[in-house]
Amino acid sequence: MQKRATVFFGLLIIFILSVPVYARAPMTVVETTVNRVLDVLRDPSLKSPAAKETKTEKLRVIYKDMFDEMEFSRRTLTRNWNKFTPAQRKEFVDLFERVMEKTYIDKILDYSSEKIVFYKETMVSENQAEIQSKIITSSKEIPIFYRMILKDGKWKVYDVVVENVSLVQNYRTQFNEILAGNTPEQLLEILRKKVKAH
Amino acid sequence: MKVYISWIVLFLILSAGSAPGLCLAARPMGAPVDALSPQPALPARTSDIPAPSPKKPDSAIQDEYNDDRNLDYDDELFKEERITIADPIEPFNRAMHQFNDKLYFWALKPVAQGYKVVVPEPARISVKNFFSNLAFPGRFLNCVLQTDFAGAATELGRFTINTVWGIGGLMDPAAGKALDLQKQDADLGQTLGVYGVGHGFYIVWPVYGPSSPRDSVTIVGDQFLYPPSYIYPWYINRGVWAYEKINHASLRIGDYEALIGAAIDPYVSIRDAYIQYRMKEVKARQARSVLFKNTGEDQTAKGLSPSEK
Repeated sequence: MQKRATVFFGLLIIFILSVPVYARAPMTVVETTVNRVLDVLRDPSLKSPAAKETKTEKLRVIYKDMFDEMEFSRRTLTRNWNKFTPAQRKEFVDLFERVMEKTYIDKILDYSSEKIVFYKETMVSENQAEIQSKIITSSKEIPIFYRMILKDGKWKVYDVVVENVSLVQNYRTQFNEILAGNTPEQLLEILRKKVKAH
Repeated sequence: MKVYISWIVLFLILSAGSAPGLCLAARPMGAPVDALSPQPALPARTSDIPAPSPKKPDSAIQDEYNDDRNLDYDDELFKEERITIADPIEPFNRAMHQFNDKLYFWALKPVAQGYKVVVPEPARISVKNFFSNLAFPGRFLNCVLQTDFAGAATELGRFTINTVWGIGGLMDPAAGKALDLQKQDADLGQTLGVYGVGHGFYIVWPVYGPSSPRDSVTIVGDQFLYPPSYIYPWYINRGVWAYEKINHASLRIGDYEALIGAAIDPYVSIRDAYIQYRMKEVKARQARSVLFKNTGEDQTAKGLSPSEK
């Protein structure tokens, strides 16, 4: 009888513990994605400078898969989102994505075997999590936190916190300031110029 | 008999427990249901119950760009109260921002780049360590003032170890894996922050950069605790100071450019980054402080929603 009880409770524990595993842990998602990025960057067949465009294209696919740009855009605009017409919103999300790509692609392509460590996963609610990681270079450690949201059974990143500075919050302050004295159209114009520049 | 009862209980628990899981797992199949509800920031709890709103068979893509009902995206879960800072002297600050920007691109960066070519990286890191080791008195005293005694002990240990075994501070064996004594970046402005003193307003100093009346205390106060500032003839003093800055810059070329490049309005971006950075630093220090640890925890408890506790 006692043996049976042990087996029963054993099974019970196994079943209860296995219930919440319907979406992969957010930390695993980020780690896999970052490893996919590193695979592209380290790919010896893409080493030549001519392959830069192929690399960028591959990274773009990974980025779309892991980054929730809609959530990101909405969170940076907050109240101002409703001031935009649906067409303007669409353009905003597109432009913003291109600004991000333009700014960070060279930094990412510059990667040279720095070590990346994922060390902590905090579930702040059942559908939001923060993954803490750091990039270790020879002279410094850069803490990078990914804030993630669970949508449609998939964890996606919507904010990146670099050295304690939240990207969403930083852009939110800038957009707030710009939209306080400008129309959405003018903000879009600034973004268009930024995409074209360089 | 008992066995059967236990099997029934098991069945009940399983069916109850896995219901939400199955529900969510099945979600992606009927994807439009979720894609249609324009409430990205609301927890999944609400989406467990299919939204009762009548759904037009519009394309889901269009609906994504719908009006936002949830207007406050302040990440309460991350305890991100809106941090802003008064900027009454913005025209002056913007001018100083321009000045510092030019100072960096026209003077500091070219010099640091040249220096970088001549001096190999390990040597530059040693120089950085050496100066950092000399700044020990300031960090130690501020740890004590913040009642972070563990931090003060760490600093004392680091200073001893790095001075003796790290060849006068050129190396940093204390931060290695074996000892794991990490540098405690405590400064005077932070100490005031730990005691509840606010920033006041935003100032951009020429050369020194982003600051506030509170943090400006650091520029003055920590000079007294920094041995190189007692070097006598002023020109050698300034020379050492400039050298330290150049060495430091040589290790971080590209960081400022990235920050500026990513910004839509670089001045506002830097101001916000500075405020966010300092606030989180003060919070982290508060969490370590013997006196203020509890104030931090209280805030944490308040910040969490009831369902979290």
